[in-house]
Amino acid sequence: MANRTDPAAKSIRGTNPQNLVEKIVRSKIYQNTYWKEQCFGLTAETLVDKAMELDHLGGTFGGNRKPTPFMCLVMKMLQIQPEKDIVVEFIKNDDYKYVRVLGAFYLRLTGTDIDIYRYLEPLYNDYRKLRQKSGDGRFILTHVDEVIDELLTKDYSCDIALPRIKKRWNLETVGALEPRKSVLEDDFEEEEEKEENDQLDDGLEDGAYERDYHHGRSPTRERDRDRRRDSYRYRDRDYDRDYDRDRGRGRERDRDRDRDRDRERDRDRNRYRLRDDREYGRERDRDREREGRDRERRDRDRGRRRSRSRSRSRSRDRKRHARSSMSPRRDRDEPEDVGTRAEPKKKKEKKEKKDDGTDHPDPEIAEANRIRASLGLKPLKL
Amino acid sequence: MGKSKQETKMIEVVLNDRLGKKVRVKCNEDDTIGDLKKLVAAQTGTRADKIRIQKWYNIYKDHITLKDYEIHDGMGLELYYS
Repeated sequence: MANRTDPAAKSIRGTNPQNLVEKIVRSKIYQNTYWKEQCFGLTAETLVDKAMELDHLGGTFGGNRKPTPFMCLVMKMLQIQPEKDIVVEFIKNDDYKYVRVLGAFYLRLTGTDIDIYRYLEPLYNDYRKLRQKSGDGRFILTHVDEVIDELLTKDYSCDIALPRIKKRWNLETVGALEPRKSVLEDDFEEEEEKEENDQLDDGLEDGAYERDYHHGRSPTRERDRDRRRDSYRYRDRDYDRDYDRDRGRGRERDRDRDRDRDRERDRDRNRYRLRDDREYGRERDRDREREGRDRERRDRDRGRRRSRSRSRSRSRDRKRHARSSMSPRRDRDEPEDVGTRAEPKKKKEKKEKKDDGTDHPDPEIAEANRIRASLGLKPLKL
Repeated sequence: MGKSKQETKMIEVVLNDRLGKKVRVKCNEDDTIGDLKKLVAAQTGTRADKIRIQKWYNIYKDHITLKDYEIHDGMGLELYYS
């Protein structure tokens, strides 16, 4: 009886709001002491007090999957269904960061797509530290904007499956949302101009880049590219994220084709394609050639693999859509090839053995090895 | 087809959740239970961290290898969810 949803509550996404949390986790919450003692008979006002006492967020932890108080409060909010104004107040309040994250989480579960983007994106500018309880019971350091990023991009957080929301780009094309404007946009434009000037001046990076390209040593090029990508990425997380979002928006060229894909990888790919874009004219020809070579290589790969529908279609799509696509998932194949080949010897090397066993004559074993390789395990010992 | 005698070999375990999901997984003896959970997750579509592998009342821990639990070829394990 204490676990019933408020009868006046609306159904969310077609179901009892408490069903947003899956059955097993829900049962764990109901059996939890915190829920039974502290969350009994909470109203919206008293819930605020409880939320202010929070000092960590997280999902379930420990061997028997004990839920955190954060999850219990999320469940309580689903049960009583506070008004949207109250939730927005939670999010807007600046003093208590856990209250903010609680409100953001609840909104992500129950709000409309437009509301979610509108209210959660300003929280990207909140850099405060948070304490997160991991699955094995230890605490991890994270930040408010990291959590918001997870909410907006991943589909699972704190042991609750987040409902699907439309991609931001879709909402923009419909006109329901403005294109994303970062608070740091002016700073980025300055930085970017400064960088362009620097790069043109000292052609050190570019020199190495061109030299490798002309010698056809694509491994080095990829490594260079990765290094450049990583150095940019970790310099300042927000810088990159916002920077890319804005720069990407300004460019017609490949933007459209990639926005459709619902993956975090989009951002990574965008990020370093945009790096390339800066060296505009040179890049275009280079990329076309590179893409031609990739296509060649991929076609050859495609012939060899058997049941690869997933990665095959992905590679085909990527080839069709992206200009210079070396996706992270393909890296699995790259390291093997990278060490051994130069352009002309490619064909011969390919036919020889791959050391993750995916070319085993028995299709079952080859398939099993493929799954193992994708999980990062060593191949089967036969 | 002769399997050469090595220290570790490939085994196939059967996991059954008694609700209709029965899964045969090929793995190495020196894989850990955590790896086995990932393989099962790949095959069944559930999440790896939601799976619990038991034998009667012994819940198998993630960091111990199959060989240490003396799980042999063809052995059946129970699949539960947490």
